[in-house]
Amino acid sequence: MPTILEVTNLTKTYDNDVHAVKGISFSVDRGEVFGILGPNGAGKTTTLEMIEGLRPISSGEVILDGIKTAEAPYRVKQRIGIQLQASAFFQNLKLTELLEMFADLYGSTINALELLADVGLKDKAGFLVKNLSGGQKQRFSIATTLVNKPVMVFLDEPTTGLDPQARRNLWELIAQIKNRGTTVILTTHYMEEAKFLCDRVAIMDDGKIVALDSPEQLINQLLDRGFKPHAEVPPATLEDVFIDLTGKTLRD
Amino acid sequence: MNSNTRSFLALTKASMKMYYRNKGAIFFSLLMPIALCSIFGFLSKGLGSTIKISLTNHGTSEVAQQFVEKLKKVKAFTITEMTEAEAALELGKGNIDLEVIVPDNFGALENGKPLPASIQTRFNQAKPQSGQIANLAIIQMVSDIDRKLTNAPSSIDVKSEGVTTNNLGYFDFILPGILAMTIMQFGIFGVAFSFVAIKASGALRRIQATPVHPIYFVFAQATVRLLVTLVNASILIAFGAYFFNFHMMGSYFSFILVVIMSILIFLGIGFAIAGWAKDETQVAPVANLIQLPMLLLSGIFFSRDGFPTWLKSITNYFPLTYVSHSLRTIANEGASLMELSTDIIGMGAWLVLVYALAVKVFKWE
Repeated sequence: MPTILEVTNLTKTYDNDVHAVKGISFSVDRGEVFGILGPNGAGKTTTLEMIEGLRPISSGEVILDGIKTAEAPYRVKQRIGIQLQASAFFQNLKLTELLEMFADLYGSTINALELLADVGLKDKAGFLVKNLSGGQKQRFSIATTLVNKPVMVFLDEPTTGLDPQARRNLWELIAQIKNRGTTVILTTHYMEEAKFLCDRVAIMDDGKIVALDSPEQLINQLLDRGFKPHAEVPPATLEDVFIDLTGKTLRD
Repeated sequence: MNSNTRSFLALTKASMKMYYRNKGAIFFSLLMPIALCSIFGFLSKGLGSTIKISLTNHGTSEVAQQFVEKLKKVKAFTITEMTEAEAALELGKGNIDLEVIVPDNFGALENGKPLPASIQTRFNQAKPQSGQIANLAIIQMVSDIDRKLTNAPSSIDVKSEGVTTNNLGYFDFILPGILAMTIMQFGIFGVAFSFVAIKASGALRRIQATPVHPIYFVFAQATVRLLVTLVNASILIAFGAYFFNFHMMGSYFSFILVVIMSILIFLGIGFAIAGWAKDETQVAPVANLIQLPMLLLSGIFFSRDGFPTWLKSITNYFPLTYVSHSLRTIANEGASLMELSTDIIGMGAWLVLVYALAVKVFKWE
């Protein structure tokens, strides 16, 4: 598969000599879902923001869809969709009005209701963002990243703080976006989410990538190294119990 | 359409909707100034710009008739005819300033010569100014009539000319002040709080994630506030003119030009504060520190004439002083922009200073 994103020796150094990202390199293939995992402070968000053109690059290079981010951040932003970690929108505007405004900012034309229907919010068209539930907010936030029919969508911790039903619902939405041929990069703290959604994951720690492969390969590699689980792993998890008891229906 | 134009229009439209759906903003930028104007309007009506006179006419002669008509023509007098008993009561209550009684023999002739007769006046000792002024005017009138009747040539005389005082009242003084205050508050407080809230919430950062530079959002916000303030200022002036007889002596063009300049100055201060501050808690003290001294010392509610010289010379340089002085001088005295060059230069200097500062301290995050 052709590469859509090429990151080479990407580094972020702050004035106070803090090295947030320490020369990482990776590439993302067109149409895949690529996960960046890692504990808080590992440099995930900084990495994303440098790729997106939101944060200046200290050194190294990012080429997205053939464009160097450092040279033309606005051309890069024109082609991608960005969901920030804490998504906030102008108050007192309805969902349709916000979507139309964002479409105008990209110079593109959309059918706001259709887009809302795609993310399951058609009946909330006249709502204000503040009246949405957590899961609905995240789905709306993802809708705003799609107004320009992006080649690549960046989702920074899209499921943090959601209940299991809302999280699974969001997985389906992300899988839909992938099925339409859009490349997705996401960060997450949930390993089962990465395993479910991601074709490949990069695990970051302390500003460096410590592993990069498909979730299955990474697991196999660990087992090959002689890893033994701490205890007998039951074939079902507590989350399976929770979903079995409370159902998959959304509670928003 | 150019994509920057389209972005600007989209953000302007969004800002406009945000403003009109914000009940608090409408209250503070439009309803509160109207309420303030009404309070001052009613107060100044109560202060009474005219002198209230009660008239009891017992006279039947032509001369008595002439006197009454002459009295009624004086614009500064409000004449109410009533009986002596009523008049005494009203005077006692302080509802009238002067009681005038025309006796029945006033102007009556006997053998072609007028009979001696006196007009009786009484004024309220507790409020002597109005009554005494009116009394002097009446004495003058009576001696005029007397001279005509006796055909005695007057050897000495006072020639007085009416000077146009435009019938200005306290309301005419206060309205430009309230307008200046509204522009300042909507500019500094309105912008600083709402913009810093948008910044702190992360909504501004979301705009940065699009291909549009957030400065377009600042332009959009400024445009909306400029338009809204102009509309609100027009409503306020129309309200004042319709309900409280506000007089505009100067040109509306000059007036609006000063209004626009002042909006730009205070918007600049608002954006500078919002650009510098991280959140609302940082905005409040700074905005108050800038606004309060101006509110109290720029002469918007009372004249600065009574200030000590040192205070007057400091407050001379306040932006709100320039604004309220020039608005007032245009509205009350019909001054031209040329006559207000000091104020205009002062405002121009503040414009440059404020925007230079805003650019210097502005932080997007």
